[in-house]
Amino acid sequence: MEIPFVVNARKDTGLFNSKVGIWLFLASEVTLFGGLFSGYLFLRLFADFPWPERTLPVLPGLINTFVLIGSSVTVVFAWAALKMREWRKFQIHMSITLACAALFMVLKGIEYNAKFHHQAVRLSGGSPVEDFAVIEGHVHKVKLEGDHLVHADKNDQEAFYANQLIFKAESVTFALKRPAHEAYLQMILDQAPEGVEITLADDYKVGGEVILEKGEPLSVEMMDQLEAAYLDAISKDTKIRTAFEKASWKWIRDEKGVTEQGTYVVEMDLWKERRKEDVKNYSPLMLRAPAEAEFAISAPFNLRLDPDDVPPGLRGDSQMTLRDDTVIKGQLLESPIVMAVDAIDFRHTAMRAEKEGIDPMKAIESSWVLTHQPKGHGVEHSENTLKKAWECHQAWLSFETERLEKKGRKPTDQDKYRINWDQMIAYQQLDFDPQKVRSASDDGTLYETHLFDLSGFAGANHDKHHFPEVEIPREKVGFESTFTPKWNTYYAIYFTITGLHGLHVIGGAIVLGYYLFFGRKMYESNPEWLANRVEVGGLFWHFVDLVWIFLFPILYLM
Amino acid sequence: MSAESHDHHDDHHHVLPWWKKYLFSTDHKTIGIQYGLAAGAFLLFGFFLMIVMRWSIAYPHEPLPGYLSWIFTDGWKARWLDDGKVTGDTYNMFGAMHGTIMVFLGVVPLGFAAFGNYVTPLQIGAPDMAFPKLNMASFWVYLAGGLIMCMSFFMESGAAKSGWTNYSPLAGVADRQIVNQLLAGQTQWLIGLVLLITSSLLGSVNFVTTIIQLRAKGLTWMRLPFFVWAMLVTGFLLLLAFPPLEAAGIMQLMDRMAGSSFFMPSGLFSKSDGVLDLSGSGSPLLYQHLFWFLGHPEVYVLLLPAIACVAEIIPANTRKPLWGYKPMVWAVVILGFLSFIVWAHHMYLTGMGPVISTFFQTTTVLISVPSVILLTSMIISLWGGSIRFTMPMIWAAAFLPMFGIGGLTGLPLAFNLADLHLHDTYYVIGHFHYVVAPGILFGLFAGVYHWYPKMTGRFMDNTLGHLHFWPSLVAMNFLFFPMLTQGMAGFHRRWYNGGEGYIEKDPEGINIFGQTVAENIHLNEVMTTAAFALALFQLPFLINMVVSYFWGKKVTSDNPWDATTLEWATPTPPGHGNFVTDPSVYRGPYEYSRPDHDKDYFPQWEEPKRSTEQESDSPAELAPVADDVESQSGEGEAH
Amino acid sequence: MAGSIEEVKKAKKLYLFIGTLLFVFTVITVLVATVEWLDFGDHGFDGIDATIGLAIATFKASLVMLIFMHLNHEKGLIYFFYGLAIFMAAACMILIGWTKADPIRDGNWERADGFYNLEKPATKPEH
Repeated sequence: MEIPFVVNARKDTGLFNSKVGIWLFLASEVTLFGGLFSGYLFLRLFADFPWPERTLPVLPGLINTFVLIGSSVTVVFAWAALKMREWRKFQIHMSITLACAALFMVLKGIEYNAKFHHQAVRLSGGSPVEDFAVIEGHVHKVKLEGDHLVHADKNDQEAFYANQLIFKAESVTFALKRPAHEAYLQMILDQAPEGVEITLADDYKVGGEVILEKGEPLSVEMMDQLEAAYLDAISKDTKIRTAFEKASWKWIRDEKGVTEQGTYVVEMDLWKERRKEDVKNYSPLMLRAPAEAEFAISAPFNLRLDPDDVPPGLRGDSQMTLRDDTVIKGQLLESPIVMAVDAIDFRHTAMRAEKEGIDPMKAIESSWVLTHQPKGHGVEHSENTLKKAWECHQAWLSFETERLEKKGRKPTDQDKYRINWDQMIAYQQLDFDPQKVRSASDDGTLYETHLFDLSGFAGANHDKHHFPEVEIPREKVGFESTFTPKWNTYYAIYFTITGLHGLHVIGGAIVLGYYLFFGRKMYESNPEWLANRVEVGGLFWHFVDLVWIFLFPILYLM
Repeated sequence: MSAESHDHHDDHHHVLPWWKKYLFSTDHKTIGIQYGLAAGAFLLFGFFLMIVMRWSIAYPHEPLPGYLSWIFTDGWKARWLDDGKVTGDTYNMFGAMHGTIMVFLGVVPLGFAAFGNYVTPLQIGAPDMAFPKLNMASFWVYLAGGLIMCMSFFMESGAAKSGWTNYSPLAGVADRQIVNQLLAGQTQWLIGLVLLITSSLLGSVNFVTTIIQLRAKGLTWMRLPFFVWAMLVTGFLLLLAFPPLEAAGIMQLMDRMAGSSFFMPSGLFSKSDGVLDLSGSGSPLLYQHLFWFLGHPEVYVLLLPAIACVAEIIPANTRKPLWGYKPMVWAVVILGFLSFIVWAHHMYLTGMGPVISTFFQTTTVLISVPSVILLTSMIISLWGGSIRFTMPMIWAAAFLPMFGIGGLTGLPLAFNLADLHLHDTYYVIGHFHYVVAPGILFGLFAGVYHWYPKMTGRFMDNTLGHLHFWPSLVAMNFLFFPMLTQGMAGFHRRWYNGGEGYIEKDPEGINIFGQTVAENIHLNEVMTTAAFALALFQLPFLINMVVSYFWGKKVTSDNPWDATTLEWATPTPPGHGNFVTDPSVYRGPYEYSRPDHDKDYFPQWEEPKRSTEQESDSPAELAPVADDVESQSGEGEAH
Repeated sequence: MAGSIEEVKKAKKLYLFIGTLLFVFTVITVLVATVEWLDFGDHGFDGIDATIGLAIATFKASLVMLIFMHLNHEKGLIYFFYGLAIFMAAACMILIGWTKADPIRDGNWERADGFYNLEKPATKPEH
């Protein structure tokens, strides 16, 4: 059996099969990305937070655009080479295309990586409006010394990122209704220092029979045993109660005979009566397995908990509930977020103040960022550097406003309420002195455009520059995240669309690579068929380029 | 499709290993049957879930009887049943999965993928689908998606539980307590959905390409059987409507796995977690838009294959041409087009605003025009025919009024003012179940009885067929008609205890709604009994399928129904590659009872007598010349 | 599409030219967004910048589609597929956008940044 029109075109449509297929596939891709762009449009137009405009470094995106356009040219050349039966040229052009795909993904990886390590914190509390100031930067690595955090070297074994919750654990209770998450169990066991014992606080009894004795040390296997015993016990209890229920209903049906209108209510009444009796009868038969198992900790120790594992509503000063319903009792220690600040953003504060009819500047002035007194263990200096940075920004802003007014223009919200990382570097180089900033602005030497500055290729470079440090107390943290989809809907759509686009690049590269590395045999037997295949693969590749042509301005320039 | 130079002509005699022949086959017929069996199994599973739910509605305080609960393990019962009774959570889970399974895993694969795969290439005279390997991949991706969805019943979280529409933020919050989100039922639902969409994309690309490229010589557009037209339109619907849902599915997956807030508004509060740790500013409305952008075309994806089966069966059994073939073709094309711009009539109560509601109300009312053209044409097709009440015809005949009820009960829902009252009540449930169960499923049953002889070489048994049909017809109506009554009385569609909590016990009481509920609640028992009866009377069908395969009456010719379309020109059952010789088509699809012809049917492939001397050149060019039908009927086909 | 060797040879020059054009317009779109004296409309990003950016992107996309993807001499059927898809995607986008910008949607008069800037109706009827 042979399928017609695989190589040659059908007369009335003028097309071969795979070409029809790929165009149909691309049509569906149009609606796929159409759906995603609808999402972008909708989320952006009606966002209730200041949408981050032109927030990504342009250079990686620009290079990637060049790379993809270049690969589009070479892929069409590769097809042309096949048409002219020049195998060598086909190989060269196709190899360049694949190299471009690889380069594209590498650059994408660099961009993603920078964002995964870039932290943002949205503050809470304060007056006259809720403090929605945003602090961006890199989280420091710290370690515990007693109950306090101290700076740690990057390569220190005990070091961890300073955004964890530090909790002095005294006892831990596992819920047996749902199996405990093994990773959590392991985390608790791993973090317990040498010599600290975690043991069962009471005998675990099912129906009078002791399953595990008091003092048994905690382990993964024993939790499995407890859970199995509990499940077994409630299964048995359920079975007994179900049998009683069934017997009652049989009695009700026999008593009532044929159902008639209104019997429903009567039946319910009978059932309720009957139930009281049932409970009396089956109560002594129940095994009554405890639904939780408490473990005592011989000496309280400091447990580091990832904030993602403890929902904010379940954090207490003396009790933490993990997502698998494990309850840890003890005491919450000071767990600040210690970070080097490369940007401060008051746009959200200003936006909310305007909504409430309050002067934005007033709201900003009362923000914790400008009012707090630096203290403490992790941070060396005691001056509020962020406040000084803000004063510098005002100095620059007054210059900028005057400059723009001459042209009949106004500064944007971003100019007014955000200290970007390149500005932060400039202010820092002028020792956070507002006068110096003003005069440097007047001279035009404050900072150059960073478009072609490779040290800031994918964002603020914390290796090269030193940024002011801050220690944000836990109760001031309203919402915190790295620059991942969690941070806001802009980054969510950015990662989703570019991630999906990246998958398309990889998929396309695999197909084209297959033609390059395994196409020789087909080239010799049926070169026209291979040319058709490369054309179809190329059509997909152009589509991938086409999507990027829209993605670049929408995500990087708007 | 290997380029190797082995001899293609002896493929018929190749002995393939069994797993290649029956399991990983690239033959469209085997894949069609695989789809059919898998979809059938899913339908039965979905039906079982529904029976458990109906038990809970009618007897909310009574433990499940042994014949329903034996399937669950003791541990499962302890966790998900309250002393043997269905809990609200379990009901939600079953409800969500019932809808999902019936729509995405049952009816669409049965109608589009199973019948489409088996019949379409045969009807257009193609040796196979255009991309046989993609076709196979499509099936296996579908099966993987379906199994992933259903497997979640056995996990700690249970299966998805936020309705088959999976609305955010409810669906975004559900199962949040599960630490490894990959093992949450709600996440697996999404992963399964993305796989199903991938499968249907592969399928629809394949179908449309096949229909465009692989038509036999002489099979011009207006000679295509209506079935093929319906499949073409369905293919386009799947192709263009599913991707936005895939986008929504991916976004919701990000919401679950990466903590984003695409569909989560600011300040979302949950009872267990407090204010959720989310950035907010997402939009639940966006999810609904993207979902229903698929959701409404999906209705026609369900419906068109059933209509298509009926449209094939009616002419073959009335022995006269399909009335209004051309208007029906145009109607189905317009129906497909309009179905893309009616979606928000599912969302009148979201607060979209009256202007946009009016727009969607207008398009919704418009779309009833092509639907009515289709149904009316088929009813008029019966007029004056000498109807042979064969088994498939009985089902097809029942399809017409049943689908009619389903369609007409939809009209009040199209108007946003009426919908304010009826939204989310049992009226909606009654409406779309009338469309899907006694409508679409009856159409597909008709298709099974119609093409079974071609698939197996044996007829299905008539006695068992009647034992299947009549009780099913009665049970369906006792099951779904009371829903319309209850719905108008205000019964909400998601009550797990059938409205027990709302009953006003005092007959003199002033709680009017409570009185209405009390008046109508006994219908729950009627419907539940009907559901049990319906389940019971599917047994004859299942027995029939198996028994007829081995002992059924053998067909005596390749064309047992004396039909005219190309699938009846193949050997029975068709071998790999379908046709013994390349078929040519000389006339339209429904040439029954032509006065100038001696038999009462004139198959598409039968050569006209006077054209024999020219045939050796090129049948494709010859065909339109030889075709004297169109000049007679004066319709003048474009050459 | 270009079938013969002659045509393919000729087309190669065109491909190079289009590739260069795409490079040039990419640079232009970046300059318009980053250089101040090319910033049309208000200072910073605004609707005019969005329009210019999207117009350039659309132009570039059409070049890719017409030349690289050979739509300039492709069959009508393909145009039909693509047209249908673009229509559907546009319907999806426009209708979804429209939903939220419904002119008489509750509370919509109060939004200064909405699509419709209707005047707030009198709170009390006149009569």
